[in-house]
Amino acid sequence: MNSQQIKKLAESGVSLALAVVLGFFTIYKMPQGGSVSLEMLPIIFIALRWSWKDGVMLGTAYGVMQIMFSNSIFHWAQVILDYPVAFALLGLAGIVGNLAQKDSLAEKSRIISLGVILAGSTRFIIHFLSGMIFFAEYAPEGQPVWLYSLVYNGSYMIPETIITLVVMVMLNKVLVSNYSLSQVGQEY
Amino acid sequence: MLDDIIIGEYIEKDSIIHNLDPRTKILVIMFFIITIFLIGSFKGYLALAGLLFVTVLLSKIKPGYIIKSIRPLLFIILFTFFIHLFMTRGGEVLWQWKFLRIEEEGLTLGSFMALRLIFLVSYTSLLTLTTSPLQLTDGIERLLNPFKRIGVPAHELAMMMTIALRFIPTLLEEAKKIMKAQQARGADFQSGSLIKKAKSLIPLLVPLFVSAFRRADELALAMESRCYRGGENRTRMNVLTLVGRDYWALGVSFLYLVGVGILF
Repeated sequence: MNSQQIKKLAESGVSLALAVVLGFFTIYKMPQGGSVSLEMLPIIFIALRWSWKDGVMLGTAYGVMQIMFSNSIFHWAQVILDYPVAFALLGLAGIVGNLAQKDSLAEKSRIISLGVILAGSTRFIIHFLSGMIFFAEYAPEGQPVWLYSLVYNGSYMIPETIITLVVMVMLNKVLVSNYSLSQVGQEY
Repeated sequence: MLDDIIIGEYIEKDSIIHNLDPRTKILVIMFFIITIFLIGSFKGYLALAGLLFVTVLLSKIKPGYIIKSIRPLLFIILFTFFIHLFMTRGGEVLWQWKFLRIEEEGLTLGSFMALRLIFLVSYTSLLTLTTSPLQLTDGIERLLNPFKRIGVPAHELAMMMTIALRFIPTLLEEAKKIMKAQQARGADFQSGSLIKKAKSLIPLLVPLFVSAFRRADELALAMESRCYRGGENRTRMNVLTLVGRDYWALGVSFLYLVGVGILF
């Protein structure tokens, strides 16, 4: 492990803590365990700052910690799909580009927007599938299961993605304009 | 907003269950979860209740804590129960009022599904009640060890979680401080529309982010100067070892759960 890798590990660890802390600031909560918060932000940030692989690793760790803390277990396969897999795929945001390699604010904002939308939609797809497979019995009679899952998961994933997008673009703007490089890390 | 947060629910006690290896506990929970989904009758739940009762007794945890861990999921448990109660048709009609009708199968299936959730939640919460988060991550790392060969970065994952567990209280404390400081300047975190609420988090997020990444920088420096070189050849102060009681616990619960799964 070289110093770059150690730095990556330390940043991922602290970002994981940050994701957990941000997860506590729920803006609203769904009865079956979904909630709107900024928990995705640090994971997407790491994916965009380092690489998608690091994002996937961080997402997996976050999913495992969620199982440890939250107890929303209904089925063994549902647990794996809803936590580690759903959050791991947030890391895919990293494939749209790398923040460190872009100089202008406009370009950074564009990458962030693309990344958040990609991450949000992949996570939504996983929750949607999990809902269709494991929560079918909760769907009201007469309503198709896919519609129920679409509405339920959309009801928190869409606001969560929008909020993460807005906040992350704004955060990036403030960080770029107000903080010198040494304060936020060399490459930022 | 942040006062009622408890991270993990670990309660320190000196009991047989607390002293078991975390790997043993994780494996037993996995057997338990699989068994719950194999069971097809109420008798099976009675057998599981016996196991749960014995485990709680051995762990010296007050049953109140277990009940408390069910509370956040009470809504979904009741919801499951009533959905099945009113929607499932079959058997004798037990009760009818206008369009509402309860039939025998509905009552059976409803209580069955509700019990399943209660058992899942109460048994898994025993794991977090009796195992400290650090032990848990250590256990997860060791359990993932065999998967290292196919490229699973077990050590890095566990290291990340260990760092996070160390920093969650620090960052929470910091978030509280920043919130108070901003509130003293007139910031409002509670009211407004969704977007407005999200925007109000910016004055909190910026200092939190900057200080978190500054801490990460310092941590990386400290790790490097202490010659951290990743998982290869790293030794530990407390090495997890499976001892006699772990094999006993694993063996007994495995046989019991397999028995329950087959019989009921």
